[in-house]
Amino acid sequence: MAVALVIVSHSQQVADGVRDIAEQMAGDQVVIRAAGGAADGSLGTNAEAIARAITEADQGDGVLILVDLGSAVLSTETALEMLGLDADRKVQLSNAPLVEGAVVAAVTASTGQTLEEVASAALDAKDMTKVVR
Amino acid sequence: MSDNEQIGIRIVRRIQSVIHANTAELNAFDRPIGDGDHGTNLDRGFTAVLAKIESQSDQSLAAVFKTTAMTLISTVGGAAGPLYGTAFLRISTAIPELDGDHPRQVAAALTAALGGVQARGKATTGEKTMVDALAPAVEVSNAAVEEGADTVLVLERAATAARTGMEATIPMRATKGRASYLGERSIGHQDPGATSCYLIIQAVADVVRDGSTST
Amino acid sequence: MEEAQFTITNSAGLHARPAAHFVRTAAGFESSVRVRNLSRDAEREADAKSILSVMTLGIEQGHIISITVDGPDEAAAIEALRALVEGNIDK
Ligand SMILES: Nc1ncnc2c1ncn2[C@@H]1O[C@H](COP(=O)(O)OP(=O)(O)OP(=O)(O)O)[C@@H](O)[C@H]1O
Ligand SMILES: [Mg+2]
Repeated sequence: MAVALVIVSHSQQVADGVRDIAEQMAGDQVVIRAAGGAADGSLGTNAEAIARAITEADQGDGVLILVDLGSAVLSTETALEMLGLDADRKVQLSNAPLVEGAVVAAVTASTGQTLEEVASAALDAKDMTKVVR
Repeated sequence: MSDNEQIGIRIVRRIQSVIHANTAELNAFDRPIGDGDHGTNLDRGFTAVLAKIESQSDQSLAAVFKTTAMTLISTVGGAAGPLYGTAFLRISTAIPELDGDHPRQVAAALTAALGGVQARGKATTGEKTMVDALAPAVEVSNAAVEEGADTVLVLERAATAARTGMEATIPMRATKGRASYLGERSIGHQDPGATSCYLIIQAVADVVRDGSTST
Repeated sequence: MEEAQFTITNSAGLHARPAAHFVRTAAGFESSVRVRNLSRDAEREADAKSILSVMTLGIEQGHIISITVDGPDEAAAIEALRALVEGNIDK
């Protein structure tokens, strides 16, 4: 299997959309779950939904979590604590930019690399070349 | 059912009604330095908390605060959810049952709450967050206990310290949370989280004071 | 070490999905795989197993790329990449 991804955003549409873009790049070899929006569907983050997404995504090879901003980090850390996974190196919370990081992480995961390698590639996505001159 | 078993739900009712009444004001504080939803987030959260607690059979303080914590974490949607959620979770384990020494337990609960907020958000004082209201409340309540103050007085002093701390956030530059994205432009605005923190402590103080005068 | 040159025929060049296919294919081999875009900057070399690296080359339709493979399975790697690039990489 491959490293799995979880996409966390304040907006369900953003989380679902980023998942779709990353899935298109990765083919069907990488499991990607989205956790977007507050529990009632308004803009926000939801630790419970994030915990569920992590559990669903986990295939045993590690999970990389990508977030948009603000409370996405606090809610994800809360979710990790709820799952009792905070000390476990098999789940990592990434500081990568959401869209670029998800795409690079998905492609890198699809080549069968380890969680550490996928996480490091995602971080490098900060400097992704989009306009080549 | 003893008074102790009733105090939990009375506290939650008061917090919910105070937050509900101040929703617009909290949103207004959050607008210039955040996304304008702090009141709405907390109103949604505490309304859900109250509904859960009204319908649960275990009304012990520990159970009430545990439900408060879990419900805030899953319903608030903003940073305040995990932060207050962790605070109430720590409170629920810090004071499993009220024993005779209530002033000391109030101080212990506030101390536990601060520990939870800081464990979750990693903020210290001066970063323009709820910590700036909560930390002085902790300090003052512990000092009041040492001086032999009763429960009402400990809470009154804590609330006053929280309000002073809340006002002191105005000139601060935010270095945590969404407001930190604004850098210098966060200066000159009162922090919404510090404001709700003061309101919550004041609500608890009011419940306890009302309870002690009516009995 | 083996080198080969291919012309990119698919309309999207090596962006997005095709680039991901290319990277996955290269990553399937033990050999190191380096790629250059001769039509843009023949000096700039990228790691064909890294999507970020490949994206720096700005490979578009009509560009000629050079692939340098070094390792135990270099011949197979060249063939697989040729089949991919000259076949229908868009799929
Ligand atoms: N790391 C932190 N530590 C302590 N308090 C914090 C921290 N981050 C934010 N806060 C508090 O949370 C308050 C904002 O709460 P609110 O529920 O509006 O979250 P938000 O910023 O809208 O979250 P989101 O990132 O989801 O938009 C701030 O006013 C501040 O007091
Ligand atoms: Mg807000």
